[in-house]
Amino acid sequence: MHWLTSIWRNLFRKQAVDSALDAEIGSYLQLLVDEKMAAGADAETARREAAIELGAIEMIKDQVRDVRRGALLEGLWTELRQAIRALRHNPGMAAMCALMLALGIGASTTIFSVFEAALLRPLPFRDTGRLVELMETRLDRGMNEVAFSEADFWDLRERTKSFERVAAYHGGEANLSGDPPEKVSAPQVTVEFFGTLGVAPVLGRDFSADEGRANVAILGNKFWKTHYGGSANILGKVLRLSDKSYAVIGVLPAGEPWIDDQVYVPYPYHPNADRGSWEFSAVARLRKGITPEAARAELQRIGEFMAVANPKEDKGLGFNFLPSRRWIAPDSTRTALRFLLVAVGILALIACVNVANLLLARGLARQREIAVRIALGASRARLVRFVMLESALLSTLGAVLGLALAAGCLRVLRAVEIRDIPRLDEVSLNFWVLFFTLGVTLVTSLLCGLAPALQTPVWGIVTALREGDRQAGASRRQGRLRSMLVTAEVALAFLLLVSAGLVLRSFQGLMNEHRGFETAHRLIFSVSYPDSYGENGRGKQFVDSVLEKLSADPDIISSGAVNVRPVEGPNYGMGIDAAAHATALGSPPWAGWRFITPRYLRTVGLPLLRGRNFNETDKPVWAERGQPPPAHRTVMLSSALAKLIFPNEDAVGKQVSLWKGQGGPEAEVVGVVGDSLERGLDHGPALTVYLPYGRIAVPSEFVLQTRGNPMAVVPAVRGIVRSLDPSLPLADIRAFDDVVRRSVSSQRMNSVILVSFSGFALLLASLGIYGVLSYSVRRRTSEIGLRMALGASESGILRTIVGQGLLPVFVGITIGGVFAVWLSRYLKPLLFGVQPFDVSTYAGVAVLLLVTAAVACFVPGRRAMRTDPAIALRLE
Amino acid sequence: MPPSTNIALLQGTLDVLILKVLALEPTHGLGISRRIAQVTNDTFQVKPGSLFPALHRLEEAGWLSADWGESENKRRAKFYRLTKRGHRQLKQETENWSRISAAMAGALDIS
Repeated sequence: MHWLTSIWRNLFRKQAVDSALDAEIGSYLQLLVDEKMAAGADAETARREAAIELGAIEMIKDQVRDVRRGALLEGLWTELRQAIRALRHNPGMAAMCALMLALGIGASTTIFSVFEAALLRPLPFRDTGRLVELMETRLDRGMNEVAFSEADFWDLRERTKSFERVAAYHGGEANLSGDPPEKVSAPQVTVEFFGTLGVAPVLGRDFSADEGRANVAILGNKFWKTHYGGSANILGKVLRLSDKSYAVIGVLPAGEPWIDDQVYVPYPYHPNADRGSWEFSAVARLRKGITPEAARAELQRIGEFMAVANPKEDKGLGFNFLPSRRWIAPDSTRTALRFLLVAVGILALIACVNVANLLLARGLARQREIAVRIALGASRARLVRFVMLESALLSTLGAVLGLALAAGCLRVLRAVEIRDIPRLDEVSLNFWVLFFTLGVTLVTSLLCGLAPALQTPVWGIVTALREGDRQAGASRRQGRLRSMLVTAEVALAFLLLVSAGLVLRSFQGLMNEHRGFETAHRLIFSVSYPDSYGENGRGKQFVDSVLEKLSADPDIISSGAVNVRPVEGPNYGMGIDAAAHATALGSPPWAGWRFITPRYLRTVGLPLLRGRNFNETDKPVWAERGQPPPAHRTVMLSSALAKLIFPNEDAVGKQVSLWKGQGGPEAEVVGVVGDSLERGLDHGPALTVYLPYGRIAVPSEFVLQTRGNPMAVVPAVRGIVRSLDPSLPLADIRAFDDVVRRSVSSQRMNSVILVSFSGFALLLASLGIYGVLSYSVRRRTSEIGLRMALGASESGILRTIVGQGLLPVFVGITIGGVFAVWLSRYLKPLLFGVQPFDVSTYAGVAVLLLVTAAVACFVPGRRAMRTDPAIALRLE
Repeated sequence: MPPSTNIALLQGTLDVLILKVLALEPTHGLGISRRIAQVTNDTFQVKPGSLFPALHRLEEAGWLSADWGESENKRRAKFYRLTKRGHRQLKQETENWSRISAAMAGALDIS
């Protein structure tokens, strides 16, 4: 007989199998009787003797069942049904447990799925372990991550032997002709770029080695899908990018967002490339068998050589490289996600402890039932299995609900835009995430069942039956176990609350930083210009007309323009120092430069502290092609920069050297401007040099101050731009408030998640405290009655009960505090303006926990206080 | 030896005995029990509590098959017979047993 069919028969045709066994035993008995009668016994005696010889029929049947295949499965099935029945018998408790576990499992699954997408999923390139990002360093000026200058890149590519391939990337934007025209991301890359990354086009081909100057383009996958519907006929199609034609030769596979939504054009080799302007990112692939240390040593030698060969630009030059995984997420994001994973683990642990506590209490209430089952022959192993099954059942239920919860949370997460968290729209409940959920569920069922399972063998039959539901030694022991669980819960909750408190205070501090500029009622938008706007003054003409038309709008109070969007934009910088310090040693201050229209400062709310603002007479510091250099250059400095360069004097009227160390011109400081958090809220006051705009310095970021809701003027703005040049695309239209909000979205997410986690933790902990105490009060009813009969006051009883309930809370807070002090240093990268050991946060959290716990204790305490001694004593 | 001093069956002994008995002819439970007592000179008295689980185990293992039939005195009874695999199993077990008993006899100096 095939074993599968026999299992099937035993499990699902049980009745037929059982009745066949009955018939077989019956016939055996009949044959036995016949035998006895044939030997001469009368019918009565024969029947009796046969029955004796046969023995206990039920036992035989049981033993036969045990040797059948599937006996173990059947036993499990029976117990499972029992467990389901037990849970249905107490639906409130089952629902409570399942919900707590759903919370724990759902939250863990959500965080893990973000973690998996952001940190565990590899880059979609070949052998990413050898793929690195190269940087220039100027350690003499304290800069260890600088972009490449073009000439430095070509030199390095020429000399290095440690890398198989080296390629450069130059970010860029272009206007894609069409109706309407569109501003697209169109980086220029050297022809080896995709070969270095280790990615091959899915359609068409890569750039060939001699195609540096060819008018060809490769499309990112998303760009191809959104702009051309993923059509296979794209190869050979000609695109107009900023008035130049490019033939499409390839399409990249779907991949990282930053490689996906753009069009790539080749960047050719130039023999006399610029060495002073740092604009290129470089990627490289380590040669097989070369250690990173060896590569670093070689780069060091090349840097020293180049510093000698080009003393003016490459003084102090060195190189560094960073692993490619940084392209997925910056280290701060990695830290934050790891921390959130730990936090959610703590939350899930608290949920487990609470469920264990509930199961323990329920087990105690069923003590007598369990004692009876032991007496009837249930083995301890079987009872433990039963308890474990019950917790596994609850965990499975929790997991199902938790997955639904996680799916909902992911929907929300995908809908909100969070900078710094990569691949958020690729986050899904994929195989790995489900595998993780399965693991969490297993651990949960073990943890929840462990305490009640350990407790089962302690209940001796005799004690349990004799003592019944009264305070036996065993239940006192159990009370201790439950108090320990509460202690653990409080300690874990303390950890979560402290970290939430610290992160929340950091976030509030960040939002309350003095920004310098005003963000309310401000609108920002970008315009992207074709190359022709850089010549003949067309760009300046356009900017002036736009600003003039904007100021005619009654809803717009003020308007201005700048070359770099505040808070979000890239940072273009220069070395700058007082001209008088020209020979001074050491490194000059490094400051971002921004060219602005005169009304820009007023529009963003930056005050002019000293001197004068720019006016029409101030011209750009650069010389226009074919024109003599400007005779008199003027700049304004941010207050912090002015103090740094001219510590004890007024900067106004002084001369400064621009692009210090690179042979830049001198200029006069005409004004000092208030400081602002131009580089982002957590960067502190930015060092900024303000330059005048003009014919060759055409700002592309427009800022408007509006009377009402800034977004309300958008149609008017579109109309104005269209009336001046219908081919110019507008992009990134946002309220300034929104720009700032986006810049701190990951900090906001951290605080929102941690605060909600700790809110749940607090709720769970107070439920645990309440549960343990109210149970103990119920059991001590008669003792309390006796005390009252002997003259104890009501308030005395309340004090005793609340004191008893608060004891494990005190212990828990102490333990939690010790662990928090120890662990909070890992939180440091997430904090801003708050120390990891911030006494007021710790104290606040302790008070919060105590007050919540006291409320949770008060309810059962009052019930004890109201005990009627007469009724209580009669319960005996 | 009086039948009452029943020797506890060695693990696995009962299975071989059942196979041996059924190799002669198919029979029902009581018949097996009686034949075992007979062939072992009443050394082994198989009780129903051991017999039935053993029969069912052997059946599940595929060494026996069972059919309902009529006994010599016209009673309905479940008749067990040896399958092909059962015959093979018996052969193998017999070899095992002769090896073991020779070894035991040698070790204990009985011959």
